[in-house]
Amino acid sequence: MVLHGWESVFFWVFALAALVAGLLTVMARNAVHSALFLISALVSVAALFVLLGAEFIAGVQILVYVGGVMVLFLFVIMLVNVGAEEREQEELFNHPAQVTAAVCFAALLVFGLFYAINQSAGRFLPDANEEALAAAARGERLRRAETRVSNISEDTQRVGSSLYRYGALPFEIASVLLLVAIVGSVLLARTAKQELAADDVDPLVVSELSAAGELTPAEIEAAARRARADDVWEQSKS
Amino acid sequence: MNTLFTPALLLLQGSMLDNMSEGVQRPDLSKFLIIAALLFAVGVAGVLTRRNIIVIFMSIELILNAANLNFIAFSRYLQETGHANAVAGQVFTVFIIVVAAAEAAIGLGLVIALYRNRETIFVDKIDLLKW
Repeated sequence: MVLHGWESVFFWVFALAALVAGLLTVMARNAVHSALFLISALVSVAALFVLLGAEFIAGVQILVYVGGVMVLFLFVIMLVNVGAEEREQEELFNHPAQVTAAVCFAALLVFGLFYAINQSAGRFLPDANEEALAAAARGERLRRAETRVSNISEDTQRVGSSLYRYGALPFEIASVLLLVAIVGSVLLARTAKQELAADDVDPLVVSELSAAGELTPAEIEAAARRARADDVWEQSKS
Repeated sequence: MNTLFTPALLLLQGSMLDNMSEGVQRPDLSKFLIIAALLFAVGVAGVLTRRNIIVIFMSIELILNAANLNFIAFSRYLQETGHANAVAGQVFTVFIIVVAAAEAAIGLGLVIALYRNRETIFVDKIDLLKW
């Protein structure tokens, strides 16, 4: 697998953009700046996916990460509102030990990769003949678009058939995982008052809330009634 | 032992420089792996050094993306060597993205609950299991 001509130019542009944006994500003072830099890093990685011929994954990356997850991040950053707090905190990356450890780790990783690649020298590079054959096969496989400007990619089709042929059960499990995540985050994020409206809560919490004057008498009465009903139910069981 | 120092020896001979310019002009699978490794290292540095829990979550997203890049690069490599089910890497990436989305939703729900109770999201201030 080798990129040629403009492909390699775009590879270096997007790879460096992803790395720089990733570094700025980690180093930015303000959490909102971090989120914006992370968005540009994710878009650069999506461009690398396009270079690798994975158009479907690139689209999913943009839709799910940039459109969904990052908007969620920005909402939460604005809800918790700590932008002002972070400014006077201590410097980031001010411990030489931290920086040395991080650089050592990165150097070890990259050196290990270089070593492994060197060991398998040439195995990643198919010979020119084979490469030309692969390119020709790819060209034949692709249908010409009606406009005659470009070829139609079949990547999405192949991902779809592979997903449903070999990964149907994991796919269903993933949908259940998403459902659990939705319910869990709604449960986690509700306030004590919202919790009181639907569920049993600790009597201590009820008394605290009513002492703070946040509950109407009807709500206190409802909570007490629910607690009594629970007691009756417990007694009837035993 | 000799093979361990081969990169250094090659650098001394100057042939590694030729290799490098060849590698820059025609990036192959290994360049993608190196970029992904560096992204991973940046993400790990973020997780280890930042105190804002939201930025830590963002660094985790960066780490997951580095893994995705590896999967896609290997998927393309296997497609060209004619592997039967080479798209499996892309399918796996879809699942990683699903898990990352679920993780972000749950994590940010936790952050909101935490902020409501403790009025801080700095990990070095959140050091009690029960209060």
